[in-house]
Amino acid sequence: MRRREFLLTGLLLPFFAGCGRDEDAVRVDLSKRQEPTMRQQPKAVSYAYLPQYAHTVSYERHRLLLDYLSRATGLTLRQVFPDTFEEHVRMVERGEIDISFSNPFAYIRMAASGARAFARIIEPSGKPDFKSQIICRRDNTALASLADCRGKRWMAVDQSSAGGYIYALGEFYDNGIRRSDFAEITFAPGPGGKQEKVVLAVFAGICDVGSVRDGALDILRDRIDLGQIRVLAESKAYPGWVYCARQGFPPETTARIAQAFFSLNFERPDDAVILTTAGMRGIIPAVDADYASVRRLADKLGLDTTVGGDE
Amino acid sequence: MMPQLSALSFRTKINCGIVLIVGLIAIPLAYLTWRAAAVSLQEETRKRGLVLSENLAMRISDPLLSMDLLRLKNMVDELDKVDDISYAFILDRQGSVLVHSFTGGFPVALTDVNAPRDGKPNIRLLDTGREFIDDFAAPVVIVGTPFGTARIGLSRTKAEAAADRLALMIVFYSAAAMVVALAPSTLFARRVTERINRLKLHAEEVVKGNLDPRAGPPALRPCSAILDCDKKLCPAYGDKNRRCWLTASPDQRGDGPESCRDCPVYREQKGDEIQDLAETFDVMAVSLKTHLDELRRTEQVLTRQERLLRTILDATPDLVCLLDENSRYLAVNRAFAAFLGQSSEAIVGTTDREVFPDDEGPDMHAQNRQVLAAGRPSHREVRLRRPGAPQWLHIVRVPVTDRAGRVIGLLRTARDVTQLKQFQEQLIQSQKMESIGKLAGGVAHEINTPLGVILGYAQLLQEDVPAGSQILTDLQTIEKQAKVCRKIVADLLGFSRQAESAKIEMCFNNSLMEAISLVRHALSLERIVIAADLDERMPIIYGDPEKLKQVWINLLSNASDALGSRGGTLLVRSRLFVDQQKVTAWFADTGPGISSENQSRIFDPFFTTKPVGQGTGLGLSVSFGIIKDHGGVIRVETPAPEGFFDALVTNGDNAPGTVFIIDLPLDHEETLGGPQLADLREA
Repeated sequence: MRRREFLLTGLLLPFFAGCGRDEDAVRVDLSKRQEPTMRQQPKAVSYAYLPQYAHTVSYERHRLLLDYLSRATGLTLRQVFPDTFEEHVRMVERGEIDISFSNPFAYIRMAASGARAFARIIEPSGKPDFKSQIICRRDNTALASLADCRGKRWMAVDQSSAGGYIYALGEFYDNGIRRSDFAEITFAPGPGGKQEKVVLAVFAGICDVGSVRDGALDILRDRIDLGQIRVLAESKAYPGWVYCARQGFPPETTARIAQAFFSLNFERPDDAVILTTAGMRGIIPAVDADYASVRRLADKLGLDTTVGGDE
Repeated sequence: MMPQLSALSFRTKINCGIVLIVGLIAIPLAYLTWRAAAVSLQEETRKRGLVLSENLAMRISDPLLSMDLLRLKNMVDELDKVDDISYAFILDRQGSVLVHSFTGGFPVALTDVNAPRDGKPNIRLLDTGREFIDDFAAPVVIVGTPFGTARIGLSRTKAEAAADRLALMIVFYSAAAMVVALAPSTLFARRVTERINRLKLHAEEVVKGNLDPRAGPPALRPCSAILDCDKKLCPAYGDKNRRCWLTASPDQRGDGPESCRDCPVYREQKGDEIQDLAETFDVMAVSLKTHLDELRRTEQVLTRQERLLRTILDATPDLVCLLDENSRYLAVNRAFAAFLGQSSEAIVGTTDREVFPDDEGPDMHAQNRQVLAAGRPSHREVRLRRPGAPQWLHIVRVPVTDRAGRVIGLLRTARDVTQLKQFQEQLIQSQKMESIGKLAGGVAHEINTPLGVILGYAQLLQEDVPAGSQILTDLQTIEKQAKVCRKIVADLLGFSRQAESAKIEMCFNNSLMEAISLVRHALSLERIVIAADLDERMPIIYGDPEKLKQVWINLLSNASDALGSRGGTLLVRSRLFVDQQKVTAWFADTGPGISSENQSRIFDPFFTTKPVGQGTGLGLSVSFGIIKDHGGVIRVETPAPEGFFDALVTNGDNAPGTVFIIDLPLDHEETLGGPQLADLREA
């Protein structure tokens, strides 16, 4: 081949190489339109976890427990995910949630609409009750005690959050600090993941103090430097999270579920995995009277615990 | 019709070149950029689509778990607002469409064309007929459990439109750059074209022969001023118009411009290529002018030499010609052309076979070939038949050789030697006649004595025999025949000039009239009329009256014999030519004339056309001898010149006739006037 042909080939090769598409296109006809119809969900016992965390976290925590319940009781259970505490409470009230796993304060609100507690958990700490932690940045030297929180910006988890707001509010109340003493009180934005958002807000300096339930800091242990967070104070311990059945839910079904719960033994490795994943050490029987202290706190703080209360 | 490329103007070519260069750069650049941008955008689109779909899949985990269709709808609608996102929709784990961004219903065909592969996002190129779409299917996985699929469609056509716009922009800017580039290129081309046109005009002047104008610009200072050089003999000294590296003497410039790179003159006066061309052109013009002058001088010399040579060649009566190695004529002189009766131009290029008659050409050509082959000169005499009389040529052929000695032609000269030949023949004839005369004279002298004895005894015996006897009759016969013999012997002696002549001053006309009167009566019996036309001035000559009378009687007798029995006219004329000191006589008859082959022999002894016994063939030869003895000339013309007999009544006789002309010298100065020139016609 002559030099000229080499040159010509060299010049034209990029053009030929660039021609055409290098993958096959799938022909799709977009003209045939039809509005989709949702498939009807099969009948199942609805189970909900008060949206203390993101839905995925809630799902992850309770996935194994629900699998266990389905196996142990033979019931079909479906976890549902209300976006807010309020929605959770309303859904229980409307009968859309059969089994609710909620904090004590939410429970006393749901109990007002007929829901009844039948089990409570043992916290990872090994105790059946929990408390609120008031946190601030370690480098915030202006905060040495609760009294220093006056005039500061406080971010709480949710107005309905027991460990994230109400217990801390009770603690501030007992220390003579009222809500009006803060420069502002804000709540974690958006649905889900509210505990983490409060920690992150304190970490970022958006607020001066934050209130979360105990154990919440551990969730972010691998994501932020917890050494930068300082626990300023803790509230008194109140009964831990509670399982309740909505009003009208068949008691025998509740009993089968309760029995399955109570059968979980942390000493058994399989059960331990289920319980640890769900953030608890065990489940024990409970009755409505166990939450009288919480009702008193609500009364003290002037909170409305009736159905359809403040949102 | 599109003009040929070579016919385009220089300016157009430069502009075309600029356009071509910019085009060759811009178009591939635009194309490659477009391709690179398209590939890059495509890759970017894929990455972006993956990020968007995975982000969507991650973001919808919560609303998907809570079946918050409003949030899901908001999310897909938010994506749909992005320009190049064609659609977004979400499928649950059963593959049912939960929300989508389409208006007017969901395209059902879209559901199954793409799906996550092995739990990872998958990309599929879709062709909707109107555009190409990259479909991204990202799985919604929550704690390892698939909960659904997030699907996003990114328009590749729109992405490529951006690349197209980029390419278009490059092309636009390239075109703008081309237009901008054309302005300076036009100016540049105009400048170059102007200089080239000046060179062209200069060249045209050179073609017209005007070698004086200069194309190159003059220098500010000559090289001698720059270098402070005092070599005034150098051609470049003080010359501002031409560059010294082109004109300087070889010992000054060394190896030429290459050796001048570091010279301050070269650095100061060196121009660009066009200026170099113009300056070289000037030097060439000067050199050309010098050479032309030399050439003209040489041409003049050559022309003069050629003219001289031609004059010599044309002036010579010899036939000169030059032939090439193929025997073709290269050049001939005027005499040769006249000899052949053709022009020189018509002869050049032909061969002897074409210009000579068929019976001569091949032989001439063969002779040429022999000389060319042998390489040696040759000379020979040839006899050519020509109207009137044969022509003798003495031909010399000399081979012409080049420097290597190779024969490249031959020079042929031919000289007309006809007259020389005639002289030779006459000389031979004279010698022959002289020998015969001597022989005849000797024989006659020896016979004369016994013949006299025979005659004497015959006459004596007649006295001794009775009259009327047979013996007397026989003796008379012997005496008569003896006298005939004595007459023959006397003629022979006269022919050999052994007879004595008695020359006296005599009247030419009287001599003629005596002879005429002697024969007039006898010829009249033959119906022959003798007309005399004699010069009235009665010329006197110095001669032998008897012998001359014998000549006249011989001539009249000959004429009588020629006319024969049918008769005719016989004209005798005489004229005196004082200036030529001669008297001429004409003896003309209206007979049949003499054949051409006999004309040269009639004066030979014993030549006769008469039957045996009627003539001895000595009459004219004796007459020739007598006239010659008188210092005259006798010659014959036959047929007689036209109009010769016009003054006579010839009875309608149209025979050719014969004229004998005798010139005899006068031996004294004539004082009488007469015709200045003897001319037969005038006579």
